[in-house]
Amino acid sequence: MVFNQKKESWNSCRSRLLQFVSHRKMGVRRSSEVSDSAPSSSVSGKEDNSGCSLLPPECSLLSVGQAFGGTQNVSSMQKEEAWRVNVRIQGVDRDHGYLCGTMEALNVPSADTPVVTFWEGEIIDTKNYTFYTGKWEASHEDDTRHWSKFASFSEFSTQVESSDGGRSLDMSSCPYIFMRWKEQYFVNVGKDCGLTIAGFYYVCFSCQDGSINGYYFDPNSSPFQMLELKPTHEGRSGVGFSSYQLQ
Amino acid sequence: MPSSAVVPAAGSTASTRPEDLISRLSAAGGDGLMALKAVRQVKNQIIGNKTKKLCYLNLGAVPKIVSILASAVDAEFSACSEQLVVQAAASVGSFACGLDDGVQAVLDAGAVPLLTRILSSNDEKIVDAGARSLRMIFQSKLAPKYDILQENNIQFILSLLNSDNENVTELAASIITHSCVTISEQKSLADTSVLQRLIYLLDGSLNQRDASLNSISTIIKNNPDAVKKFMNIDGGKAFSVIIELMKDRHPRTKYLASLCLIFIGNASQCYVQELAIKTKLILIVFELLEEAGSIGDDAPFALINLIESKEELQKHALSINAVEKLGNFLMKGSYEVKRIQGILLALAELCSTLEKARCQLLSLEAFNRVVDSLNHGSAIIHIAACTCLRNISRSVKNISAGHFNRESIVLPLIKLLHDPSISVQIAALRVICNIVVCFSTRKSVFIECGGVKELFRLSQSMDSTLREYAIQVLKNLMFNADCHSLKVVLPEILDSSLSVLICDSEAYVQEQAMGLVCNIINGRDEAIDRILSTGISDTIFRQLCRSSSNEVCIQGMFIFCNIACGKPLHKDATLNYILQTRVDGNELIPISVKFLQSKNDLLRLATIWCMLNLVADSTVPEGTARASKLFDAGVAVALGQMVDDPNTDVKYRARSLQNQFKLLGFS
Repeated sequence: MVFNQKKESWNSCRSRLLQFVSHRKMGVRRSSEVSDSAPSSSVSGKEDNSGCSLLPPECSLLSVGQAFGGTQNVSSMQKEEAWRVNVRIQGVDRDHGYLCGTMEALNVPSADTPVVTFWEGEIIDTKNYTFYTGKWEASHEDDTRHWSKFASFSEFSTQVESSDGGRSLDMSSCPYIFMRWKEQYFVNVGKDCGLTIAGFYYVCFSCQDGSINGYYFDPNSSPFQMLELKPTHEGRSGVGFSSYQLQ
Repeated sequence: MPSSAVVPAAGSTASTRPEDLISRLSAAGGDGLMALKAVRQVKNQIIGNKTKKLCYLNLGAVPKIVSILASAVDAEFSACSEQLVVQAAASVGSFACGLDDGVQAVLDAGAVPLLTRILSSNDEKIVDAGARSLRMIFQSKLAPKYDILQENNIQFILSLLNSDNENVTELAASIITHSCVTISEQKSLADTSVLQRLIYLLDGSLNQRDASLNSISTIIKNNPDAVKKFMNIDGGKAFSVIIELMKDRHPRTKYLASLCLIFIGNASQCYVQELAIKTKLILIVFELLEEAGSIGDDAPFALINLIESKEELQKHALSINAVEKLGNFLMKGSYEVKRIQGILLALAELCSTLEKARCQLLSLEAFNRVVDSLNHGSAIIHIAACTCLRNISRSVKNISAGHFNRESIVLPLIKLLHDPSISVQIAALRVICNIVVCFSTRKSVFIECGGVKELFRLSQSMDSTLREYAIQVLKNLMFNADCHSLKVVLPEILDSSLSVLICDSEAYVQEQAMGLVCNIINGRDEAIDRILSTGISDTIFRQLCRSSSNEVCIQGMFIFCNIACGKPLHKDATLNYILQTRVDGNELIPISVKFLQSKNDLLRLATIWCMLNLVADSTVPEGTARASKLFDAGVAVALGQMVDDPNTDVKYRARSLQNQFKLLGFS
């Protein structure tokens, strides 16, 4: 979310506070009707000719129930500023390249309380989603410019341009998961809160340590506002797991 | 003293009171004329008159008429045998038409063999009457199944199908529709020329066409081999015929042709590739929903058959406003139970995977009608409404937005947990499973309305599915739960049945019970203390050691993983459990090492996470001590093989653990 520039003059400023709770399914479905929000142990879907999955790997650090904390750089020409952000993952559907969660901005200058939004994510799995966004006012050039900010993207950049956003890429051995996160609605404040959720994030998640880097994109806002998050244990002395199953 | 019936002489003006006619049926003896007149009068009275049918049934008319029919067939009457056979057969058919009691009486009287026998008569009228009557009988669910698997019987059906008599061919089609149920029965018919003959009859009269379509749909339903045979007949000519019949002006023909196309399309996508045909099918179903009677009642089920588990087709249906149209039908109101059930289930199917469909339905007034259906008087509607709500609420986005955290939804669902039908209770529990998941700080209406005590009650049910879902609801309720929710659930669950459920006779109940524990203790030291002090952790560990279910072991290891996130005491307790040795083949090895060697990715992962949590804090001596114990138990050796684990998640965690060991001075 960022300041709504129609209402606020401080148009280069944006804040992000994301709080994720991630959740992982720790069992196997008994009924085919059961839809679980967390990844299962094997990935179905896109396979190469040898039957091996080309999808990005699953990662327990990016599962329902996990939380992340960090900052979003909202610096402008006028001043340097970074907002605290918490993210919590609430749902993951690997088959559909989908995940979702909440994002909490803690120190939004215009808000009395932390502002929480619900976001939905697209996992660049080259099956459901490619590196090309194709919506939200993002051109291929915008996509390439933002993805290229991540060093880990460099190995894919040539192929992305030559294969329609990376449609045929093998992501299975990549230690990073690329995503787009798009906020859908404000959870605890009204639409007239002075913030806007028009843009979206280009996100790169490290499967090794769970760190998250992202860049906010909104044609009407300052470019490349950076999001930096790390897993938080929320008072635990380790990584805990919880789960739910949707029917 | 028995009184003798006053029987008017033949030819005189006779009474037509039912009692009198019954007396005359009884007294006819060998008087064919008298019998004929009486049977004809009965027949004329009962045709289209349910009240009269019931009256004559109660007076025992059917056995008498069947007896007369038998005598007539054997030509025992002195005169008018042929007419008598025709009239008696027609009477029998009339009794069987649209009245289950009538069918039962006809069956009980042994009419079917007699009627079958007269089909071989040389008299066309007799054959016609017999075929009509048998058709009436075979249209009822009460009719006996004809054994299609017998070669002779198939030949008999073929002989009927090859008849020039329209009623006989319709009878053959009715027998097929009624009796062909299993795959082997479908195969036995598809292997003969039955399908060819049925296709030929599609060019016949309206009734023949519909009867043939019905039989074809019966033979090819959910049977790709039969569909293949059907499509290969005359180079697939029948397919184009059915496409045309789908556009017929008669609703029943349209419906049956559509059903055939749906079954053909379900067998293989290659047969019905054109989007235009699929669109037409969907639109026809909506058109048929307007029809009164069975066609309109069956139409939504045809739609379900068409779109079930086919996401692309569901998207297409959505693009032509399927949700809105079904919603409008639901709003129209006073339909038969079957049609309401079908509409609710069709909506459920559309909302099974598509978020857009869920959002659309939520935004319509019809959503309230779905919710209202929870208060309907029929258990069938309760289940259908629950199925629909379950699929709409299968959405983190919508649950998170609080769309289902409302008394108008929760209260009727809690009420359904008391329904006498277990199916209804399960259907309600499955909706509750979704709507209780806590993604926000909103108060749980389910807890406020006293739903938790119902879950505890059902978790002790004799029915294992009820137990499973009741525990799953509790597990979902405890996911990310706030302190208030925890205070409601924790004391009761710990003090009551949790240990019993962890040791349930069914592994899937054990798995859910362990999942519940996992959620309860995640990040809550007080809850971990309770689990350790009440002996529940001992029970979990015992299950871990003896269970053959990977899922149970995975849940168990994640519980110890969460306990290992607690205080140092909790970590030590965890370490003590997972280092306990068990016999594995000829070896005595710690359970943790055994799990590290498991072929199950998640079990290896859970075990490594547990160990990572035990040694995470390298700044305290206890961390080093725990690492030392793990190292000595042989964990490092197992770990050495896992740093290149085929599962990348396991590989990264194994490397992290190995690095942590190195950091603590173990390598």
